[in-house]
Amino acid sequence: MQTLQPHDTLRLDEVKHLRDIFNAQNSKELKVAFDALNASIEISQEDLEIQFNRYFVGPMETVADPFASVYLDNPDVFMSKTTLYVRDLYETMGFTYSLKNVIPEDHLGVELDAYYQLLFLEIAKEITYLSDLRHYFLHEHLALWIPRFLERGLAQSERDSKAMTFILLQLKSLLIRETTTTRSS
Amino acid sequence: MSYSKEKVESILNNGISRRSFLKGLAASGVLTSLPGGILQANEDLNTKIPYVGQKNYQTFRNACPRNCYDTCSIKTYVKDGVMQFIEGATESTYTRGGCCVKGNSYVKRVYSARRLKFPMMQVGGKGSGNWKRISWDYAMETIAKKLLEMKKEDGTLLGAALTKYSGNFGITHYGVEGMFSSIGYTTRLAGTPCWPAGIDAQNLDMGDMWCNDPEEMKDSKFIILWGVNPASNSVHSMKYIYEAKKKGAKVVVIDPIFTEAASKASQYIQIKTGTDGLLALGMAKIIIEANLHDQKWLDANSKGYKEYKAYLDKEIKLDNVSKITGIPLAMIKELALSFAKAKPATVWMGYGMQRHTNGGSMIRAIDALVAVSGNIGKYAGGARYGHLSTWGFNYAALSQTKPEGSVGYTGVSAIKGEFAKESGAKAAYTDRSLNINKTARELLNAKEPKVRLLWVACKNVFSQDFDRNQLIRMFQQLDLVVVADQFFNETAKWADIVLPVATQFEEYDVNVSYWHYWLSLNEQAIKPLFEVKSDVEIAALLSKHMNKLEKGSCTFPQSVDTKVMTIKEFNPGIYEQFGIKSWEELKNGPVKAKAVIPYADGKFKTPSGKFEFYSDKALELFGNALPSYVEVRKPYDKFRMTSPHSRWSLHSQFQNLEWMEDMHPEPYVYINPDDAEAKMVKEGDTVAVFNKQGLLRVKAKLTDNVQAGTVLMYEQWYNNNIYNVNELVDDTSSDMGAFKTGAPGVALHDTFVNFRKL
Repeated sequence: MQTLQPHDTLRLDEVKHLRDIFNAQNSKELKVAFDALNASIEISQEDLEIQFNRYFVGPMETVADPFASVYLDNPDVFMSKTTLYVRDLYETMGFTYSLKNVIPEDHLGVELDAYYQLLFLEIAKEITYLSDLRHYFLHEHLALWIPRFLERGLAQSERDSKAMTFILLQLKSLLIRETTTTRSS
Repeated sequence: MSYSKEKVESILNNGISRRSFLKGLAASGVLTSLPGGILQANEDLNTKIPYVGQKNYQTFRNACPRNCYDTCSIKTYVKDGVMQFIEGATESTYTRGGCCVKGNSYVKRVYSARRLKFPMMQVGGKGSGNWKRISWDYAMETIAKKLLEMKKEDGTLLGAALTKYSGNFGITHYGVEGMFSSIGYTTRLAGTPCWPAGIDAQNLDMGDMWCNDPEEMKDSKFIILWGVNPASNSVHSMKYIYEAKKKGAKVVVIDPIFTEAASKASQYIQIKTGTDGLLALGMAKIIIEANLHDQKWLDANSKGYKEYKAYLDKEIKLDNVSKITGIPLAMIKELALSFAKAKPATVWMGYGMQRHTNGGSMIRAIDALVAVSGNIGKYAGGARYGHLSTWGFNYAALSQTKPEGSVGYTGVSAIKGEFAKESGAKAAYTDRSLNINKTARELLNAKEPKVRLLWVACKNVFSQDFDRNQLIRMFQQLDLVVVADQFFNETAKWADIVLPVATQFEEYDVNVSYWHYWLSLNEQAIKPLFEVKSDVEIAALLSKHMNKLEKGSCTFPQSVDTKVMTIKEFNPGIYEQFGIKSWEELKNGPVKAKAVIPYADGKFKTPSGKFEFYSDKALELFGNALPSYVEVRKPYDKFRMTSPHSRWSLHSQFQNLEWMEDMHPEPYVYINPDDAEAKMVKEGDTVAVFNKQGLLRVKAKLTDNVQAGTVLMYEQWYNNNIYNVNELVDDTSSDMGAFKTGAPGVALHDTFVNFRKL
C-alpha cells in the first residue's frame, strides 16, 4: 500500500465510519463508529442507539428510512426497481453480497460500503479500474437519493437530536465533498 | 465530472461489453485488493459471468392465511429471489385466478418499509418509544429467564398468558399454542371474538357447523344474503351469486346497512338491527300457514317441530314482526312465500348478525327457517354459516406434552377453541382459561398467581379488544409483554419486546378455509427478510434457551424447519378427503375436498341425531329450548353504532399498506343525513362520537346507506392513528358461545353512542 496523504486517510476514514454507523448491529458497534467521527457530543451508548433506531431502524415508523428505493421508487416499499439496479451495479463492480434478499442492497450502510471499497481501491491501491463505476454510482445514484434522505432526517433532527444531526451533517459534507471532487489524486 | 455515463451504461446494459469488463476485472487484481466489508469480492467471476438477459420467473404455491372466507390459493412469481407479483391460482375453481384488493397488495406488504425487521426491546418503560435492538438469543434468553423465575416463585407457569387469534390461520401457527403447552400449564385467553354465538347455535340445531360448498350457490334458485357482504369481504363468492342470478335466481340481501352486496342484489330489505331472528320466525310462520313447509323432511329428520310450531302459533304475531323489524308485512309475506316455493333455496348468514346480545338466538331462528322450508341437506341449499370439516390435520405443532412435574390450574376444564382443541389424556391439572372477549378485565383480575408475562401472537390486541384505557393499565402492570408481529401497531407500542414475524411467503404452511372446500400448500417463496422468523421457529428458539437454562423445562423441539413442521400436519384422513396420495401433489396446485352435501343423509350430530328445533342442551345452557324471539339489547344512548369490516382491511391487517391508504386514508363516522341535520353536522365536519365507554374524534360522512338512528364506524387499525372503534364498545357478551368455544362472543353491534359537532 502506498503512503497515504493525511487528507486521503481522512477521506477514506469518514466514509468507513459512516458506513460502520449505518451497518452497526448493536449499540457498542454504533458508539465505536460514532466516536470515531470525533463528534464533540456527549451521549451514552444506549441513548445513541435509541435515537438512531428512532431515526433509521424502527420498530416505530422511522424519521428517514435508509433505503434508496424509498426515495427513488416508492416511499412505502423496498426491494423495488432501485434495489435491483444497485444489485446489478454491485455485480458489475465484482461484489458478492451474503445478505442478498435479506437486507436490500440499497440500504445506506451497504451502499456506503460499496463506495468505500471502490474509493479504497483508487486511493490506497491505486487501482483505477473501477473509477468510472464509482463516479457513476456517486453521481447517478447516491447523489440522487441521499440529499432527500438528509432533508427528511435533518428536518426532524434539528429539533431533538444533536447526535443524529451530527451524523446527517457528516454524511452531507461527505456527499458534497465527493461529488465536487474529480478523480482521486 | 470526469466519468462517462454512456460508457458505464453501455457496460451495464450490453451483455458482451459487460462480459469483457468483468473478465478484465478478474484479471486486473482488483478483487484481491478489496478491503472487505459487508460486500465481498466475487471470486467466481472468472467462471461465472452473470447472465444479464431476461431471467425467468420461479413460481411457488402460497395461500392467504388471513381470517377470511376466501382463503385464496396463490401463485407467487419470484425472480432472482425477489417476489414480483402474485395471482390467484387458476387450479382452484373458487379462487379462479383472482385475489381481492388486499391479496393483490401482498408484494407491498412483504416489502413494506414499515415491516418489523429486528427483535427489539423497549427500554425506559412501555410506551416510552425508546427501543434497543437485541439479538434473537438475547430476546429468548430474557423471556426464558423470566418464565423460569416465575415458575420458581409461583410453583407454576400460570402467570404466563397467551393471547392469540386470527392474524394467521395457517395450521403450523397453532405452534404458538404448542409453545405455551410445552412449557407447562399456562393462562390462555380463550374463546373467539368472532363467531362463537353462531357456532353454538348451529351446534345446538345440527350438532355441527358445516355449510354446503359455496360453489353450489350457482345452482340455487333463491339466495338470501343475511347480514353478510361478500361483495366486499368474500369477493370470490360473488361469481356464484351472479351466475345464479343470471340463471333466474332471486338474490335478496337483508341487512341494516345498504352494503356493496345489497347493491348487486335483486332486492334489498333494510331491517332494524337485531330483529333478524324475529323476521325468520315470522317467515317460518307464514310458510307453515301456507302449507309450503316440507312436512315429510321434518317428520323424518327433526326433533321438536311440534313445539316449535306451537310457539310460532302462539307467540309470533305477524303485525308485530312487521312493526319491530320495520319491514312491511306484504314484503315479508312475499319474501317468505317465494323463498319457500323456490327449490333449492339457501341462506348465507354473516358474522355480524351474531354479534348481538341475542345473536345465537337469531342464528337458531334462521336455521329453523331453512329447515322448515326443506332446504337442509340439499344440494345448493343449506343454512350457511361456516364449517371446520376440512380442518382434520394432525395439529402436530400444537400438540406438545407438558414438562414433567408441571403444576397447573384445578378450577375448570381444558381450554377450548373453535379450530383445534387440546387433546390427550385427562390430566389432574389444566391451563387457566380467561375470556378473550374481556381481555383487559380478566387479566387485571387474575389472581393466584397473577399474570406477569403476556405473549401476543397473530393478534393486535389494541385494535381488536375492548376498553383501551383498561388495556393500557393492564399492559403496564405486567412484568414482560412480548409482541410477535409483522408491523409496529398500537399493541407493539405497549410491549417490552417485539419480535419480527415472517409473512407466509417466507415460511412453509398449509391452509384450508372455513367456507370453501379447497386445500392449499404454502411454500416458502423467498428468504426471510432482515431477521424475521416464523412463529414455530420462535417457539423452537425459546425451547432451546429454556432447556439451556434448565434442562427439560420445555418440550417443544429445539430446532425446526417450517417445511418439516408442515409435512407433519398431514395424515391419511386428509389425503382421503382431498383425493391425493401425498402433500407433494399440492405443489401442482390446490385440491378440493370430495363432494359432500352436509346432512344429506339426515344424520345430525345432535343428541337425538336429528335437526333439533327443541334442544335440551340449549335449555340446559341458555334457558331456552326453542328458536325463539329474544329482544335485542335495550339502547343506553341515542344512536346504535355498528362496526363492520371494510373492504380495505381484514380486522387490523392491510389498512396500513400504501394501496389501502391511497383509497381509504382515514377513519370516518358514517351518519344518516337526517340525523346529521338534527345535529347540524355537515360532510367532512369533525365530530366527537362518545358514550359511557369513551370518545373518538373523527370526520363525518353523510350517507343514507346507514339507516336513521344508527352510525357506522369501520373496525380496523389505521397506521399512525390511535383510532379504535372498540374504545366505544363495552364487553357485553352475546347470548351464546361458551358451549363450543369456551367463552361467549361480544355484542359488538349492540353499542350505543351519541355524537356532536366539534
